[in-house]
Amino acid sequence: MKSTYPLIRIAVLAATALVATQGHAAEPIKIGVAVGLSGANSVVAPAVVQSSELAVEQINAAGGILGRPVQLEIVDDASGAIGAQKAFDTLVLEKKVNAIIAMESSAARNAALPVISRGRVPYIYTSFYEGRSCNKWMYVNGWVPEQQVAPVVDYFSQKLGAKNYFLVGSDYAFGRGMLKFTKAYIEQHGGKVIGEEYLPMDGSDWTAVISKIRSTQPDALISATAGGAPNVSLAKQLKAAALTLPYGNLAIDEGTGKTMGDVATGMYMSASYLTSIDTPENKKFLSDLGQKFAGNLSTPNELSEPQYEAFFLYKAAVEKANSIDSAAVVEALNDVSIVGPRGVVQMNASRHTPLAMRLGQIQSDGSIRILETQEGVSPGIQCPNLK
Amino acid sequence: MVLILDITTTIAMLFIVTAGLMMIFGIMKIVNFAHGALLTMGGYAAFVVTQLGWSPWLAWPLALATGMIVGAIIEYLIVRPLYKRPLDAILATWGLGIVIGQLIILAFGRDVKFADVPLTGTWSLGGTDYSAYRLLLIPLALGLCALLTALLNGTRFGVKTRAVIMNEELASGLGIHAGRIRFITFSLGAGLGTLAGALISPLSSIDPGMGITWLVSAFMLVMVSGHSMPSLIATCAVFGACQVIVSTYASPVLGGLTIAVLAALTLRIRPKGFAHD
Repeated sequence: MKSTYPLIRIAVLAATALVATQGHAAEPIKIGVAVGLSGANSVVAPAVVQSSELAVEQINAAGGILGRPVQLEIVDDASGAIGAQKAFDTLVLEKKVNAIIAMESSAARNAALPVISRGRVPYIYTSFYEGRSCNKWMYVNGWVPEQQVAPVVDYFSQKLGAKNYFLVGSDYAFGRGMLKFTKAYIEQHGGKVIGEEYLPMDGSDWTAVISKIRSTQPDALISATAGGAPNVSLAKQLKAAALTLPYGNLAIDEGTGKTMGDVATGMYMSASYLTSIDTPENKKFLSDLGQKFAGNLSTPNELSEPQYEAFFLYKAAVEKANSIDSAAVVEALNDVSIVGPRGVVQMNASRHTPLAMRLGQIQSDGSIRILETQEGVSPGIQCPNLK
Repeated sequence: MVLILDITTTIAMLFIVTAGLMMIFGIMKIVNFAHGALLTMGGYAAFVVTQLGWSPWLAWPLALATGMIVGAIIEYLIVRPLYKRPLDAILATWGLGIVIGQLIILAFGRDVKFADVPLTGTWSLGGTDYSAYRLLLIPLALGLCALLTALLNGTRFGVKTRAVIMNEELASGLGIHAGRIRFITFSLGAGLGTLAGALISPLSSIDPGMGITWLVSAFMLVMVSGHSMPSLIATCAVFGACQVIVSTYASPVLGGLTIAVLAALTLRIRPKGFAHD
């Protein structure tokens, strides 16, 4: 074996030289990722970073974009507005990135948009959110309420024959917004909302709400609480009261469902991405992640998977435009499509994307069984004033 | 019927959550802002019991013991020098609450935890199926109230405690070890706080902020009720009933304000609140 060492050494030297000369010719394309490494989003951030690293590695292994390697610039947005402003300033002004692909909170996104407009940088926002955020330079590949609510209500009304719904939420923008949309959707489709109750955001005593649910006897319950404590206390108190009606939760994700265990058993949820999606693309995504990060893999989720897809959407757009010019790329982003772990993604619906939405039910072992997949659920017209 | 059960179980829960604060704030007059953190600790005691695979009933004694030990340490290190400086004690216990919260985050992380529930299912009562665990809280609250009343009014320790609170110098002059009385009362109050945390954990989420949501209501209730356990349970009964009625017939958002508003009104009209001396 020893005799092969010099050979390897020469090969490595040659390769290094090659890369070095190529480096001069092909300057890397820089893609910025702003994510909440600290603060509220720090729970999901590791998975988002791993998704980004995997995407960049795969793109570079396949020859980069237009023959240029991709370089990742990851900065912390501290999960909030002030941090996001700093992070985007750093990415746009200092690092001079060619594009930004970021999973962020709504507050962080709103604070970042002015920086994006000034710097004229294509921006793909990869988190699901409450909808209707529009900017000339921004595209979104996560879901909006129009897409998340439909699968739950359709299943309840068509498969379970539900007519009378009870809605429960936390008293804040997401809770009120989601349920307002849910109510409108139910009424458009012939159902009736017979009760709608809210608790303050930090409220944890659902006593009166649960008694009302019991006395009005709805066919189904749909909730949009703040994540974490209110969501969990509602589920626990429903269970303690032994209410067994179909329960759709608009604020739960796969990971939370898993940790909640038997408290969440039977709960319905809707998502564009679940790890149990049975397609070759998803299986490859999961096994590639598993291989690259082996021991310290952060389980991919609804927030980290769109982040992975966004890199390939950007690559496709640059290749279509045959340039990294911001205006040309933004125009091309509307037309390109890829097949990712979630299925076909094309951000051609006024800057948002039609998505295959899955209706899942949480099983007693914490896993999520996909009951139904609705293909190409439309996000509606989110940004009528943008082309 | 459901309304009556809602009201009684809410009263029981409020009493359980405030009993520990009553010992420290009502009786010892120490404004203990760490009460929320003590409740949280009780929730985590339930979580630890689940992790160890023990019977969930053991969460109660474990929480009580942990709380008493932590309470004893707090009293000895932090509160003892501050009995004569109540304003400083407010800051100290507030800071302490933050420290305990952060230690819990360091040890267990920020995310929501889950503990096994000792009693699940429902009991049928007057034609309605009602959460068994909530019903269990009623005898628990009554028992706790009886025990604490007996301790404070019927034992030598209770007499000494009241003597120390009313006039420490005179009590010391009579040979009562004031320091020891305060030490025991504070530890007991802290223990009751963590016990309450374990007791409410099956109905609430176990996370680093779980106790904070109860803190304001607990202070309001103790402030109105003065310093005896029966008047505390009376206050809990009146305010708890109002909260459930407002939540049921108006809106739960208003229901969340009921206790704070009623307490402010009561203290405005009758500064002594429900206390009758």
